[in-house]
Amino acid sequence: MKLTRREFSAGLAAGLAAPALMRSAWAQGATIKIGMCVPVTGPAAEQGLWAQNGAKLALAAVNKAGGVLGKQVELVIEDDQTTNPGIVLAFSKLAAQSDIVAFLGSIRSTQVQAMAPDVIKVGKPVMIGGTNPDLTHSGNPWLFRFRPNDNYSGRVIADFGVTTLGKKKWAIVHSTDAFGTAGGKALTEALTKLGAPPVLDQGYANQSQDFTPVVLAVKQSGADVLGTYFTFENDLGIFARQLRQLGVNIPWVGSPSVVAVSSTKLAGPALFGTYGVADFAEDSSDTAKAFGKSYRDAYKTAPDNQSAWPYDAITILSAAINKAGSTDPNKIRDAILATQKFAGAEGEYNFDKNGDGLHGYNVVKNDKGKIVYDKHIDFND
Amino acid sequence: MDLVLQLLFTGIGIGAVYALVALGFVLIFRATNVVNFAQGEFSMVAAYLMVVFSVDLGWPYWLSFLIALAGMALFGVIFNLGVYYPLRHRTYLPVIIATIGASILLSNSVLAIYGPQPQVLQGWFDTPGIQLGPVYLDSQYLLIIGVTILLVLFNFWFFEKTLLGKKLQATSQDKEMASLLGISVSTMIMITFIYSAVLGGLAGILVAPVLFVSIQMGSTIALKAFAATIIGGFGDVAGAIVGGLALGVIETFGAAYISVPYKDGFAFLVLIAFLVFRPQGIFGERVAEKA
Repeated sequence: MKLTRREFSAGLAAGLAAPALMRSAWAQGATIKIGMCVPVTGPAAEQGLWAQNGAKLALAAVNKAGGVLGKQVELVIEDDQTTNPGIVLAFSKLAAQSDIVAFLGSIRSTQVQAMAPDVIKVGKPVMIGGTNPDLTHSGNPWLFRFRPNDNYSGRVIADFGVTTLGKKKWAIVHSTDAFGTAGGKALTEALTKLGAPPVLDQGYANQSQDFTPVVLAVKQSGADVLGTYFTFENDLGIFARQLRQLGVNIPWVGSPSVVAVSSTKLAGPALFGTYGVADFAEDSSDTAKAFGKSYRDAYKTAPDNQSAWPYDAITILSAAINKAGSTDPNKIRDAILATQKFAGAEGEYNFDKNGDGLHGYNVVKNDKGKIVYDKHIDFND
Repeated sequence: MDLVLQLLFTGIGIGAVYALVALGFVLIFRATNVVNFAQGEFSMVAAYLMVVFSVDLGWPYWLSFLIALAGMALFGVIFNLGVYYPLRHRTYLPVIIATIGASILLSNSVLAIYGPQPQVLQGWFDTPGIQLGPVYLDSQYLLIIGVTILLVLFNFWFFEKTLLGKKLQATSQDKEMASLLGISVSTMIMITFIYSAVLGGLAGILVAPVLFVSIQMGSTIALKAFAATIIGGFGDVAGAIVGGLALGVIETFGAAYISVPYKDGFAFLVLIAFLVFRPQGIFGERVAEKA
């Protein structure tokens, strides 16, 4: 048998490539990969760490229970730098790995908005924690939300303040980013429906060093209750201290950051007595308690919503892939949307056609630095 | 009127913070003709040193303060030898890039060592503040304003009345001439870096109880401080102080009376206006003379 030079080179090339091809095929088959865009650096690096903790805890449980489709699940983490360009880059890096079957996006609405166009192009399910209602209401079929959206937080804040606390003169303070603007709008709408339109609607830019003008505006408005949407805990800490220093002591019902672990630590007594809506409250259900216990055992610190939603996202996503019996994006999508009455750490998941899993909030109170569960308010519409 | 007084106090307080950091910018610029973009990180590093000694190790506040400042002096030496000295014969551009690199290195090193969680640092005083009629005076801001006033006096005395100060001035004005007169230029630049690091550190330690200790605390202040130095006149000590105070007051009043979300916008609007109409700043010499 005579080999031509062309046949020889083709054979040589195939021989050289074979081990690599086999290795990549083996790698593709060995595990089920889930990509996660999360802040490892930047202002929210702290919360990013907790999100990873929550996801890894769920991952360990899933793998211990036999994994997904008979394979172990692997998390591929990419730093989103807590910025919009950062998450677009992180997502495109992950999306380039064709063996990743689904993704975890951001808890920040503005970042989810930034990555949304690419999510449609990639066409694979992305679990999100951002609470801007528009994210799942803009016809993007691939976003699934594992926290209640701001329509609900606004409604719960308004309902609790007006009905339970009996306060009608509201001042609203919110960040001017996507999250804060949408939250402030939702709260205004809910209050207007309850016959108590706000007397002040005050936006502020993130990473402000001083909140005196905001506090003075609240003081001058004559409001008897304060509703807030703060994005960053250090902003909230500075605001809370200045609010108390300048003598504003009206009841305060805020978005989840008011009762977040780091805000409680940073602001100290300035936040005593405040109420916050919390998608995660450890005492709200048995599942939440169980999650709290395993989180404390693993990380020696209290969990909050930053770690609870990725925990639920990984749990429900894994269950959905198992139920779908395949990693086909459309089948996973159908399986997630079919998830009903699923007890998660954040609450009971009943996915609607938009991809929203939760439809209510817990109200919790900062009782001298300890966050205590007050009540759960759910809406059916 | 009450409102105006309250805003004025806060504006001056936050302006004094900008002024302290701006002072560090100016001193290094005068000595080396480059802008040190790691000046904000000097403040951040000092605040973290304070957390290490005062919070983690539980040492007395005054002792932690002195050790942190001594640490910053050492840090100034290392910074000079590591970032400026190897590039001293090059144009200003590589040095500026090196300071930006150092700034990224510093913030990420602290992130790696200390983690991303913001830390709480207690203020110097136990009382958070005093109510003076309708105005609430935050004790930490009072301290910051007091320290700024002292530093203005100290700088005047140091640069105008002492031999070392005059040597530093001579070095910043004409290195070759200073060298011919027997002044060791490298030593003078070293001293400048030490002084700037201590000043930046002082600003960081003073502002930490108000803004919390975080990785990005330095960069947010430094940006405003940089604007303040341009408004005051780059290279002018009095300019840095006046520029910082003016910036603090303008943005606070702008926020209160025009728009809160555009607070940072006012600061940079003033900056742009100065760059267009008076690029040499309030006290600055004409740009042509510098060139």
